[in-house]
Amino acid sequence: MDEPLVRAVSVARRYGASVDAMRQATFEVHRRDAVALVGPSGSGKSTLLHLIAGLDRPTSGEIAWPALGPVEVLRPQHVGVAFQGPSLLPPLNVVENVALPLLLAGMPEPDATTLASEMIGRFDLDMVGDKLPEELSGGQAQRANVARALVARPALVLADEPTGQQDRASVQRVLDVVIAIVEQTGAALLVATHDPAVAERLRVRWSVSAGELDTGASLWSR
Amino acid sequence: MVALRWTAGLLRRRTARTAGAVLGLALAVGLFASLGVFFAATKSQMTRRAAAGVPIDWQLQLARSADAAAVARTVSATPYVRTALAVGFGDTTGLRVSAGGNVQTTGPGRVLGIPPHYAATFPGEIRVLLGNGIGVLLAQQTAANLHASIGSIVTIGRSGLPPVAVSVDGIIDLPEADSLFQSVGVSATAAPQAPPDDVVLLPSVPWHRFFDPLAAVRPDAVTLQYHIKIARPLPADPAAAFTQSLALAKNLEVRLAGAGLIGNNVAARLDGARSDALYGQLLFLFLGIPGAILAALVTGSVTAAGAVRRRKEQALLRIRGATPQRLIGLAAVEATTVAVAGVGLGLGLAAVAGHLAFGSFRFGASTAEAIGWLGAAAALGAGLAFAAIVLPAWRDARNLTAVAARSEVGRAPKPLWLRLRLDLLLLTAAGLSFWRTSKSGYKVVLAPEGVPTISVSYMSFLAPFFLWTGGALFAWRIATTALVRGRGVLAKALRPVASGLSGVVAASMSRQRLLLARSLTIMALASSFAVSTAVFNSTYSAQARVDAQLTNGADVNVSTAAAAGIDPNVAARLRTVPGVTAVEPLQHRFAYVGNDLQDLYGIDASNIGRAATMSDAYFAGGNARAVLAKLAAIPDGVLVSEETVHDFQLQPGDLIRLRLQSATDHAYHVVPFHYIGVAREFPTAPRDSFLITNMSYVSRATGSAAVPNLLVKAGGSPGNVAAQIRRVLGGTTGITVKDVSHELKATLSALTAIDLAGLTRLELTFAFLLSAAASGLLLGLGLVERRRLFAIASALGARTRQLASFVWSEAAFVTTGGIVIGAATGWGLAYILVKTLTGVFDPPPAHLFVPWNYLGGVATVTIAAVVVAAILGVRATRRPAVEIVRDL
Repeated sequence: MDEPLVRAVSVARRYGASVDAMRQATFEVHRRDAVALVGPSGSGKSTLLHLIAGLDRPTSGEIAWPALGPVEVLRPQHVGVAFQGPSLLPPLNVVENVALPLLLAGMPEPDATTLASEMIGRFDLDMVGDKLPEELSGGQAQRANVARALVARPALVLADEPTGQQDRASVQRVLDVVIAIVEQTGAALLVATHDPAVAERLRVRWSVSAGELDTGASLWSR
Repeated sequence: MVALRWTAGLLRRRTARTAGAVLGLALAVGLFASLGVFFAATKSQMTRRAAAGVPIDWQLQLARSADAAAVARTVSATPYVRTALAVGFGDTTGLRVSAGGNVQTTGPGRVLGIPPHYAATFPGEIRVLLGNGIGVLLAQQTAANLHASIGSIVTIGRSGLPPVAVSVDGIIDLPEADSLFQSVGVSATAAPQAPPDDVVLLPSVPWHRFFDPLAAVRPDAVTLQYHIKIARPLPADPAAAFTQSLALAKNLEVRLAGAGLIGNNVAARLDGARSDALYGQLLFLFLGIPGAILAALVTGSVTAAGAVRRRKEQALLRIRGATPQRLIGLAAVEATTVAVAGVGLGLGLAAVAGHLAFGSFRFGASTAEAIGWLGAAAALGAGLAFAAIVLPAWRDARNLTAVAARSEVGRAPKPLWLRLRLDLLLLTAAGLSFWRTSKSGYKVVLAPEGVPTISVSYMSFLAPFFLWTGGALFAWRIATTALVRGRGVLAKALRPVASGLSGVVAASMSRQRLLLARSLTIMALASSFAVSTAVFNSTYSAQARVDAQLTNGADVNVSTAAAAGIDPNVAARLRTVPGVTAVEPLQHRFAYVGNDLQDLYGIDASNIGRAATMSDAYFAGGNARAVLAKLAAIPDGVLVSEETVHDFQLQPGDLIRLRLQSATDHAYHVVPFHYIGVAREFPTAPRDSFLITNMSYVSRATGSAAVPNLLVKAGGSPGNVAAQIRRVLGGTTGITVKDVSHELKATLSALTAIDLAGLTRLELTFAFLLSAAASGLLLGLGLVERRRLFAIASALGARTRQLASFVWSEAAFVTTGGIVIGAATGWGLAYILVKTLTGVFDPPPAHLFVPWNYLGGVATVTIAAVVVAAILGVRATRRPAVEIVRDL
């Protein structure tokens, strides 16, 4: 078996003196995993994604990225994150926002722009490529956000409620594109969602409740 | 309760924003209030110095029919009269001295009867040259005319009575002869009367013995005056002091009921000082107001840097049901907090700055003025805080929807002024206004002598005002144009800083053009303020030195009143004194041009420039070297004043027949000269009419090579060199050694009367602070307000270097653009200010003086502030704050 992309042992995250957003979570994420993180609001799903992305540090326990390297070297081609909140850079238009991870990874601008344009096309955003984030609808901004997470073909894709502002038809289209890309690249996919329709599309379901992560019940291999 | 919580939240969560606003406001209030201190210090200094320079405040001249005893009683009973001494003025038909078979005579003159202690009561009125100042004293020129000295018997002619003879006890100089012999009661607009050439001072007792009989037969030939010192202090404001001294004099005249008229010397001196005060006011308007406006703009920009976030906060409050009134109320609470802290800090800053710069904690020349300044500064602070915080909140609450208020980067339409090209129109208007002011001869302050009202040509303000505002708007245009149309060029230019991200950095900057244009404009204004103030002040200080040199003649002036002049060996001895780099003689004579007696200076035209500054501004045509070379080449050439050229309708090359006194027979003889050019100023020369010619020609024509002045160029400190010379000349009698630093302190021209040194320190300090604030504070706060943007980029995998490229690119753009545009505008402003305020420069400067060290220091501080802000910004973005990541 190949090295895991992420290995977490007894990871906990506490905010302040009393808020345990994540308690004693132990898990591994491998290539081609497709995991739905389900649980009620405030249960700790986003915290877990931030810990996996290396954006937040655990207050106890250990988390590592054996197949990717230490947290300091994590780059857009390693981890792609689609955030839950509005996270497009306001001064950049859609193409520039989507191309940004490629540019940060060192790709020349013309190539990055071409790839970004192709990617936004797959999310039906061709018509708004030169629009600024504040000129987009909530659904368009969310799709651009997901496109940006995928554009650098990362080994690990993390998406936090990526379809919360999409209509039913769009949800399926977005998922089709995301799943197609991760299958094509062999990336692992973790999606935090409330939507059963989204969770159903992924092979593995982890549940989070009051900071407790339960990965055992449905830990069936692909 | 909500307001309290909001304030607490602001202080805790928006500390940088609030502190930045307080700091900006403190700078604005501080600068404004400091200018109050400047005015207080300057005005009271002007009044003090003007009044102190007057030996006799009033000369009360008795009417012929007046009862002298009654007048004396009235004068002594007048409360504001501190001292009054009676002085007699008698006309003489001529003076005569017989010695060794030679008889020397003079024309009509004046004989004064002075009481004991007169010289001690009015110091400065009589300068003793020979003797102990007691007894019969002969004026220096009279002694020269009569070849008289101590012990000589002088016969005083009396009209209709036999002459009387007196024995000379001393030789004196009357430095204030113009005012002493003024025609009391004559209109100020009448042509000034020259003092008499021949003057004798007698003690009161003999004078009465000689002239009381004359008064009986020729009452028109004798007058009696009371010389009066009035009570001090006068009001600190020269204009108020002038008005008060006029009013008090009129009061005494009324008390005397026609028995006497007052020659008001102190009012005449204050008359000049009040126009100097007005120049001070102009300096405030030209130099101080832009600084205060700039500080206000910095405050506005600091608060505007948080406008997006504030708008979002307000939008959230609105979504949760806050009414517009509540939103405005909360903004008012924030404004009040900032105003109270900013005004308090600003006034403290002003007090400290005032103390350091002027040695005064006062805020005004009077208590009422102090209250006025404090009130105005506090009102300015409060107004600024409300304008910067409440006004946008009110506008947003009225006009913006909650959704629109949450937007961060809009495609803002071009402002109307940009579409109307207002900046270009203003710059054109600045050029036209300046041209118009220059056509009027830069007459900014109009203060007719003796008239209580003075006026300022406020039109002259238009050129610098238009240039300042036009320059600021132009900076905005350049910034936005470069960010929109020059995006490609910008991306290329940023490649060294941003490498592969240059395109996206340029795009990001282009979309944030309003923020960047504002920062660049403020930076340009700060640079322009620093450059214009520093260049103007340096030019002013340099001209003060030139003015002092002009009055003193050179770094050191060695002079004698002796008719034989300075021993020729002295010059050779001085050349060996350590620190002396050049010694040049300056000959002085009197010459009649028609009936007009003028000072004539004989020089060695080829070498005079080695010892004394020969500014181009001294000569018409503006080329000192060429004019002096021409004079050296034409032995009988003469440079005359413009007034003489005009009065006598001279053309270059015209023969002028001057009358000079011969050393052999002491009579005036015609000497031919040729008019070759115009001299406007010359070292030691009076400000009106004088003549410059070749020393060798004068020596030949008059039969005397006597030189009363040696001009000395000092290699080091003029004061030290003067001290060395005094030591070397120790035993030589009748020689006076003066250095330029003494003159710099003593000169009472408009130039030095305004304490620009203090203003300079004050303004340059504020320019320093404002430049640092405008650069570091704005950039730093801009970065703080965009933490979320950098957190997202960081979360997407941006390395520190890549995040830094955004920061450094913005910093480089704002700093480079701001400094370059600001320096150009500042230079233009300094040029216009120096030209427009020509009245404070005497002589006008040949060129602007650039204080490179100071400007280098400001640039270094500005760049350092930017670098510090950028480094802190980069450090803050390196690891995104947990609360921002949680918000993503």
